[in-house]
Amino acid sequence: MKEYILLIVGAVLVNNFVLTRFLGICPFLGVSKSISTAGGMGGAVIFVITCASGVTWLFQRFILDPMGLGYLQTIAFILVIATFVQFVELVMKKTTPALHRGLGIYLPLITTNCCVLAVAVINIQANYTLLQSLAFGFGASSGFALALIIFTGLREKIDRANPPQSMRGTAIALVTAGLLSMAFMGFAGLVK
Amino acid sequence: MTQILKPVRKALGGIHPAYHKELARDSAVRELTVPKSLRVSMAQHLGAPAKANVKKGDAVLRGQKIGDAAGFISSPVHAPTSGKVADVAEDITAAGTRAQAVVIEPDGQDQWSPSLPPAMKWEEADSAALITRVAESGIAGMGGAGFPTHVKLSPPKGKTIDTLIINGAECEPFLTADFRLMVEQAGRVWTGCRIIRKILNARTLRVAIEDNKPEAIAAMEKAMGNTEGDTAIVVLPTSYPQGAEKQQIFAITGREVPSGGLPMDVSAVVENVGTAAAICDAVVHGYPLVERVTTVTGKPVVQPGNIRARLGTSFADLVAACGGTRGVVAKVIAGGPMMGLAQFGMEVCTTKTTSGLLLVPPSDVSVFESSPCISCGRCVDACPMRLMPCDLSQMLEAEDYLGAEAMNVLDCIECGCCAYCCPAHRPLVQHMRSGKSRAMLRRKQQQAEKKA
Amino acid sequence: MGPLTTALVVFTLTGIGCGAILAIAARVFAVEEDPRLAEICAILPNGNCGGCGWAGCGEYAKAILFDKAELNLCTVGGTETAQKLAKYMGVTVEVAEKKAAIVLCRGNAGNAPRRFLYNGVADCAAANAVDGGDKICRYGCLGYGSCARACPVNAISMDGNLAMVHPELCISCGKCVKTCPRKLIKLVPESRHLHVFCSSLDKGPIVKKACKVGCIACTLCTKLAPDSAIAMNGALAVVDYAKPITKEAETLVQKCPGHCIQQA
Repeated sequence: MKEYILLIVGAVLVNNFVLTRFLGICPFLGVSKSISTAGGMGGAVIFVITCASGVTWLFQRFILDPMGLGYLQTIAFILVIATFVQFVELVMKKTTPALHRGLGIYLPLITTNCCVLAVAVINIQANYTLLQSLAFGFGASSGFALALIIFTGLREKIDRANPPQSMRGTAIALVTAGLLSMAFMGFAGLVK
Repeated sequence: MTQILKPVRKALGGIHPAYHKELARDSAVRELTVPKSLRVSMAQHLGAPAKANVKKGDAVLRGQKIGDAAGFISSPVHAPTSGKVADVAEDITAAGTRAQAVVIEPDGQDQWSPSLPPAMKWEEADSAALITRVAESGIAGMGGAGFPTHVKLSPPKGKTIDTLIINGAECEPFLTADFRLMVEQAGRVWTGCRIIRKILNARTLRVAIEDNKPEAIAAMEKAMGNTEGDTAIVVLPTSYPQGAEKQQIFAITGREVPSGGLPMDVSAVVENVGTAAAICDAVVHGYPLVERVTTVTGKPVVQPGNIRARLGTSFADLVAACGGTRGVVAKVIAGGPMMGLAQFGMEVCTTKTTSGLLLVPPSDVSVFESSPCISCGRCVDACPMRLMPCDLSQMLEAEDYLGAEAMNVLDCIECGCCAYCCPAHRPLVQHMRSGKSRAMLRRKQQQAEKKA
Repeated sequence: MGPLTTALVVFTLTGIGCGAILAIAARVFAVEEDPRLAEICAILPNGNCGGCGWAGCGEYAKAILFDKAELNLCTVGGTETAQKLAKYMGVTVEVAEKKAAIVLCRGNAGNAPRRFLYNGVADCAAANAVDGGDKICRYGCLGYGSCARACPVNAISMDGNLAMVHPELCISCGKCVKTCPRKLIKLVPESRHLHVFCSSLDKGPIVKKACKVGCIACTLCTKLAPDSAIAMNGALAVVDYAKPITKEAETLVQKCPGHCIQQA
């Protein structure tokens, strides 16, 4: 039990995927305009990455490894993740149309996100068991969601505060992201 | 022996400005003789302004009704003295709006109208009769809000009141009118308290006084004598805005009025000591509300003090009664420095809610240049309603009125604590007022659309 | 099987499998969609940039169909896309004559003095709420620039505390008309140049104290203008833009004692 908690805390705070590993910056900057969309995106990411961690682990274990096709991991994972996300989108569109409408374009955006692939690959490289992979996936995506929501809150406030013309929009957003990154450095050493 | 209690909770937020009450606190109430002209406004209370029922040339007597209440949330207006109606015309109010006013030229006789209602034995009267007397006498909240008292004392079915709080806190700096009223006429105030308690059938009665008014506490204690039932004086720590009703209810009972709610939602009613005294006059003697005590103060005033003047007395006459001014007067504020309204002329006249007139010399006026919010958070610490004035003002500057409404801008009591402590000199209260008026407008439009 | 063959077979099978799953899922979880959505999406650039304010072109298409969204919000597609959308939706804007906004007040700092120093939010509605505004004239332009800020094309400039519209830039969207708390701005036909630049309903003596170029209700213009093209609304002269004023224009400008009738 303890190792799973450490795994999750490590992925959320110490090695945050966005702020420490600098992955998934695209949706991080793109979806951080308002809290409601950020929240939806965060939720979608948690769901997709956790499930994708499991699915890719199983694919690696039962198809790639026995066939000796480990070198095709990248292609295979992209294929699997893309299919999985599309499948989820179709199911969502039918069963929860309101949620689907809310997330809209962000669901496919997760597919082309380097963060998902990174989680899947790290799971294999670190030789995690299935349960550990799921835990790590959950932690990584929760970390992404956390960073996204914090950043969105900051951005909303900064946009309202009327920055100088030259710093508006992406400029001040990147500066803020950098400062947030430095803030998260404070967690270094929390989990050995 | 009257019980003296401490508050049960510490009011949240608030500030401690310099009070400067020593300018007027020791000067006994002076009566101002009736001036040469009185302009009695029809808009002396919250709700629909009264409708004048006299015309130019009519003769009026003191206490005669010259304005009929226009609707349920409204109050009648009475002539403060006997004389002739010189005009019924649009006049400027202290809030800068315009309203109908009856201009009376006093005849010097100051004769009471013979058709005043008779004295009532209030111990035996029933609530309905007492409330009708309060309504007929034109009594509105004299603490400054001017809410028609008979409406406050008639909570709708389903709302029982178990706590009555009489507000003698007078937290606004410079003002001492309520203080002098309690020191000099504690008996009148106490009778008013008992009458209100009878009307509401409230189990608990608390008289709230701040601890910077020991003489008032002593005077009320003496007047109250041996009290019956759950009655006590509560000595509140001096802070601003301790006199705001929601903050007072919280400090005395520990109950929090819900967002968007009223004190009756937590079974409490708060009335000002001045209102209580006016109720005593109306019930015991049959006198309608035609005069009030106003603190005229400030460094430029020669003899700052508390003046009892008839309603409709111009600010110029009030200041003249205090010996006039010395030096330059840069700003004139109707009310106190925190929540008062700056005036641009001395021809505005007193109403039922004019608790003070503050004159400010040029050295004390702050003309500011506001800069962007630095998110220091002082306003959040100071806000007694636990709002976030920094975020709200940024939203309102960006004209995000829906966002401001979602952040409860309608709960703002406009006390001014946030603007007082803002290091960037942002006009926060003005932002809040514009946000509140837009939110109310939007709600009205929504309701109108729903009906259509 | 050699490694290359294994790889090819595994991946072909995986590909077919994934494709099959998706195909079946698409059939099983099919959702009835309005065919118009697809047609509108075809008109939109499909970059899914979110510039319109919606999460992607699909959402904007839905908003256009069901939420009456404005058709000119696609910043990438620009006016061309807006026109195509308008054509598709069957919306044609009948513009009888191009209109431009005009501020019917000339009470700038030199003409209309202030009553007091207003020190607060630099917004016209906020200033108007304080004691009825800081100008002596209760009806004139307060000059805090709310209309200029509201204008999406920057067609309004503040000139000596007076709002002035540049008619050649005006797109007649009407935002300034709604913003002005004193209702000074009107949309008038672009071809009309003669205006009464005053909106004060106060009587002549009061206007004289409030402004050097206010309408003092002498009613001279109502007699000089042809066919009641200028009529009195209480103590204010108002131009009826439906009636032409051609040759009398110069005379009106010269004869107006208040100097408030001008050619724009």
